[in-house]
Amino acid sequence: MEPMTLEHSVEIILTPQFYTLIREVLDVKFSYQAKQISASLFDDYIGNSTDYQYHVYKCNEEWCFFAYNIKEIDYFLESKGIEKHRVSKIYFAQQLDDVLKEPIQLSSKNILQSIEGTVTIIPIRLMESNIYYKPLNLSELKLNSGVTMGASLNSFISLKETIMLSSIFFIFGIVFITEGNRIKSSIESEDKQLTELFNENNSYIDSTVRRTVLNKYKKIENTERMKRQSMKEVSKLLSSKSQLMTLTIQKNKILATIKTSNVNISKQVDRNAKAKKFKSINNGLNVKVEKQL
Amino acid sequence: MNLMTLQRYKNEIILLISVLFALFSFIYKLSANTYVKENQSRIHQQTNEITNIISLKKQWGNKKIVNKVKILKTIVPASKIKSFQKKSKKLVASYTGLSANELNKLNNKLINIPIQIVMLNIVQSTKNQYSMEFTCKW
Repeated sequence: MEPMTLEHSVEIILTPQFYTLIREVLDVKFSYQAKQISASLFDDYIGNSTDYQYHVYKCNEEWCFFAYNIKEIDYFLESKGIEKHRVSKIYFAQQLDDVLKEPIQLSSKNILQSIEGTVTIIPIRLMESNIYYKPLNLSELKLNSGVTMGASLNSFISLKETIMLSSIFFIFGIVFITEGNRIKSSIESEDKQLTELFNENNSYIDSTVRRTVLNKYKKIENTERMKRQSMKEVSKLLSSKSQLMTLTIQKNKILATIKTSNVNISKQVDRNAKAKKFKSINNGLNVKVEKQL
Repeated sequence: MNLMTLQRYKNEIILLISVLFALFSFIYKLSANTYVKENQSRIHQQTNEITNIISLKKQWGNKKIVNKVKILKTIVPASKIKSFQKKSKKLVASYTGLSANELNKLNNKLINIPIQIVMLNIVQSTKNQYSMEFTCKW
């Protein structure tokens, strides 16, 4: 075979020197079941079985098992200038059993012929000299059960690894999307509540208006609470030995005058007032307390 | 890139697509997280502001408060009410001759009604007798 340069993909038919064939009658229904026992079938026929790949298909009542060394095939193809990615499918010459009842010439030295149902390479010198070798028209052949050159050879990643890794990444993707949707929907109810509040209170949609109104009422709330708290504190300064003389609230100021029965009570009132953060002036029996609101 | 090259690197392309899918999904999840964090605080803040306004307005700007204010007129004998003028959202009242108990009662009532005390003036007129005047609005 001469080296060649290819511009398009091709399909290859392997001649018998590239594969080992075993035919077995097995009580299995499916080819994947037959394939599971392929390696053990070839134990006695091939060397290091790890270098081999197997192919099986049903031929009549039997199962045809093929063992082939893909590296060896690849090496051969490369030596002939056929890049491995140009090979779309590989078939076995055995699959041409019916067609090869009559021999075809492979080269000046070999012919290919099916002998007792097994496609074999025969040296041409063993054949009669006047025999006619009919040409093989590949375009008329319908070949089934071919082998893909193998993702393991064409790609850096095998098909099995691709399926496994892609499935993992795909599952991760689905999980992330689901999680993202769940996170987004988690604020939907709060958003809905806010929309309802805005619908009921149109005037508060504007944040400036909202903050102005809020500040206004917060200021009232704080001042009024402080007024009331201060009034309660003034009343707590009173006892049976002291009397309220005046209590005034004006603007932001509370002012009270407490009259006591003796100096000690005055001091006590003064102390208590200061403890409650009142500004206190002790003037004899009168104590003036004052606080800014 | 022709069809053959695509077919040659079919596995890598499938893997790349699945990695990109996972990556974009992860980015989507992160963006959803960021979106929620940003919007949750905004929604909480706006909801709090509105509910605060509603509750504060209900307390300090309640139109029905006028009914509660009426009690300040009935809590002490009418003879001790010098004046009780209610205009719009404003009340100006003046009491005289209040006992310490009556003063306490009036004072307690006043501070328990959510109205704004604009002015308050309590003065002891004679021993155990007080006069009180205040201006409130709501």
